[in-house]
Order: sequence, then structure tokens, then C-alpha cells
Amino acid sequence: MNRRQIARGLTKILNASVDEILATSDEPITSNAVRIGITGAPGVGKSSTIARLAAYRAKPTKQLAVLAIDPSSPLSGGSLLGDRIRMGDLVENPDVYIRSLPSRSTNNGLCNNIPELINVLESHRLSEIILETVGVGQAEYAIRNQADIVILVMQPESGDTIQSMKAGVVEMADILLVNKDDLTGADKVCAELAEIAARGGRLEGWFPPVVRMCATNNKGIKSLSDAIDQTISWQAKHRDNELIAQQRRRYQLQSLLERRIDELLDEAAPGFLSTSLNEGFRAITARCLLEP
Amino acid sequence: MLKNKRILVAKPGLDGHDSGAKVIALALRDAGADVIYTGLRKTPDFIARIAIDEDVDAVGLSILSGSHVALLQQTRDSLREMGAEDMVIFVGGTIPPQDVETLKQGGAAAVFTSDMTIEDTIDEVASILK
Repeated sequence: MNRRQIARGLTKILNASVDEILATSDEPITSNAVRIGITGAPGVGKSSTIARLAAYRAKPTKQLAVLAIDPSSPLSGGSLLGDRIRMGDLVENPDVYIRSLPSRSTNNGLCNNIPELINVLESHRLSEIILETVGVGQAEYAIRNQADIVILVMQPESGDTIQSMKAGVVEMADILLVNKDDLTGADKVCAELAEIAARGGRLEGWFPPVVRMCATNNKGIKSLSDAIDQTISWQAKHRDNELIAQQRRRYQLQSLLERRIDELLDEAAPGFLSTSLNEGFRAITARCLLEP
Repeated sequence: MLKNKRILVAKPGLDGHDSGAKVIALALRDAGADVIYTGLRKTPDFIARIAIDEDVDAVGLSILSGSHVALLQQTRDSLREMGAEDMVIFVGGTIPPQDVETLKQGGAAAVFTSDMTIEDTIDEVASILK
């Protein structure tokens, strides 16, 4: 892989405005790259799990990329991207490319221009793309649109959290991963998750496996990797790819529209926000129609 | 001030103190930069690989061990081998005054010592990356 070319391609897209994105080609890229999304609350071990998973799955014939998203500061716009600290062992792996990304103005767990960033990686013929979301709470599940497989990482003694997550991100997972399974309470949390999983996942007919792991000593990595392979083969037979493509296009369109409206609000004359709600709404939607 | 700039803050060599590196990393973030931090005790080769993958605009080396001249040279060599000889490198840490010129001749775009204020440090980074 040409790491410098990939890296520069990603920077260009990361910083692209709405107009610059619209000016790039949206010819569909023929790629069989599998997109694996890793999500979960802060501190459950997403980065450590990815470090193990990428090392286990990457081969010269199956190169993979990791996009690790961390939050941008709403105050300064800057960010401190720390996912690398847990991925040190991957740095010298010639078959893995890692990139840290700031969330910028996106606050759904992903970052600006994520569909286009994934396209850059697909055009470089990587076999798998691992997406790490910002540490999320209960409702940030935009990852489901962008990933083929969503893995929700949890840890023992988060029983109450799981209760409250039942209706949100838990329903969106294809694999439920209990990390730090050497801690007390692991059995209990696995039993609770098995109950949730028995009701089925986001794709009809798929029952998310509950996998136990301990990323610090790599226990359970084979079970996780096998669960991913099983999900891939099940999806190949049962998933409606046309529907997935439409959902992805909808997300892409909606993200660009939201950013355009942000831009228009930023550009609006001072005093604009003192007008009536109705007037303001009409003025902005009218500006949207004027845009080329 | 540093909007959309990507900066790697790295700790090469064997010293085990990173409060300084973290203070600088946070100050760069507060000035609007996207900052990537490597963690402690990394080799120059490791730092150069990350700089390439992350496509950073600059690498900041924080060195308190006294080996700043050699570590700067090794980091530059690794970057050159990977085709990034033009990478901007800053050096900061406990640098004796007589070494500042040596580091600049060795390719450091700027050298930051502990008697400088955070504001001056950030201003100089911003003016070099502008």
C-alpha cells in the first residue's frame, strides 16, 4: 500500500467543504471491502480491541485500515487524538494503516465527510476497514449506516447501563462484545446480553452473538474474529444490499445538507437571529434553494 | 489560529516524563490544532511511521533526557528514508542554551525551552505552519 498517498487523500477529504465534496466524483467504487464498526462507551476498550483485531486479521493478501475518531473541542475546534496510544504494536505492521480523525462539527459518534473518507480507502483496495467511533452514550448509532458489521463493546459491572441502552445502541449491534471479562460480573452481563440478543438484531433473522474477550491478554480474539466471519457469510446470503446502498446515500445527503445549513447560519447577517422563527426558517430555506 | 493543522507530539528515547508534552499538546488543541500524541518511550522510526500515516504538518519532539541532538538526527533520518525529508520538526524540553543553535542547524524549525511561555511557543508554531 502507498501510505503517503492514502494519508494525503484522507487529509484532503477531511478538510473539504460541502462544495468541494460535491465537486468530487461520486462514481460508485467497486469494492468488496468489509466495514467493521466498533462502538461503545468511553473507556470500555475499543482501541485496545481494535489493536488486537487488526493484528489478528491483517495479512499481506488482506490489508486493512483503521479510522479512529475522537471528539473535537466545541470551544477551540481543536482535538487531542489519543487512540494511537493503545495501538502501538500495530505501527510496524506493514499490512495495517491507521488514521486518527477529529469529529469536527459532527456529533453522532462519527466525523465530517466519513462516507467520502471511506471511499478513499476503498479506492486503495484495502480488504477491511475498521471504524472506531467516539466513545458514545445511548443514542449515537449513526455508525449503523456506515458499517457492515457493528460491534458494541461493553464491560462487566455496566449492568445498569445496559438496561438503559436496550432501546438504543444495543439494538443496532451485530455482535455484542464483553471486554475485560476477567472482572467480576462478566457472567451476569453476558447473561443479560444473551437475553437481549435472543430477540434478534437490526437485520431480521440475525441473532447477535455475545462474545467474551480480554483485550489486555488477547483472550477471546479468535472468538471475536470467528463471529465477524460468521456475520459476513450470513449477510452475504440474507442482506438487502440495495437497501443498504440507499441508507448510506441518505446519510451522505443529509450530512451535507446539515453542514450547508450550518454554513448559511454562520454567514447570515447579524440581527438575523432576532427575526421571527418563521421568517428565519423561510429565509434560510430560500437561501438553500439559491445555492448552485 | 491552528485550524485544520495536524501536529504529532512525540516522546522519543528513554525519559519517562511527559507532563511537558501533555501541556503543549493541550495548548495546541486549544489553539485549534488536531494533536496526535504517541505516548512515552518511542523510537525515531516509530515516530516517523506515525507522522507519515497521520499526514501531519509538523512533528514536535519532547526530550528531557539530554539526547536531543542525536534523537533529532535519527528522526530526520527515518523521515528521509520514508520520503518525508521536508517534514517540519520542533524540539522542546530541557535544552541547554549552547545546544539551541546546534539543533537549528540539525534541522529543527524551532526550539522551545522551559523558560518560554506557552503563548510564545504556540505563536511561533503558528507562524511557522502558516
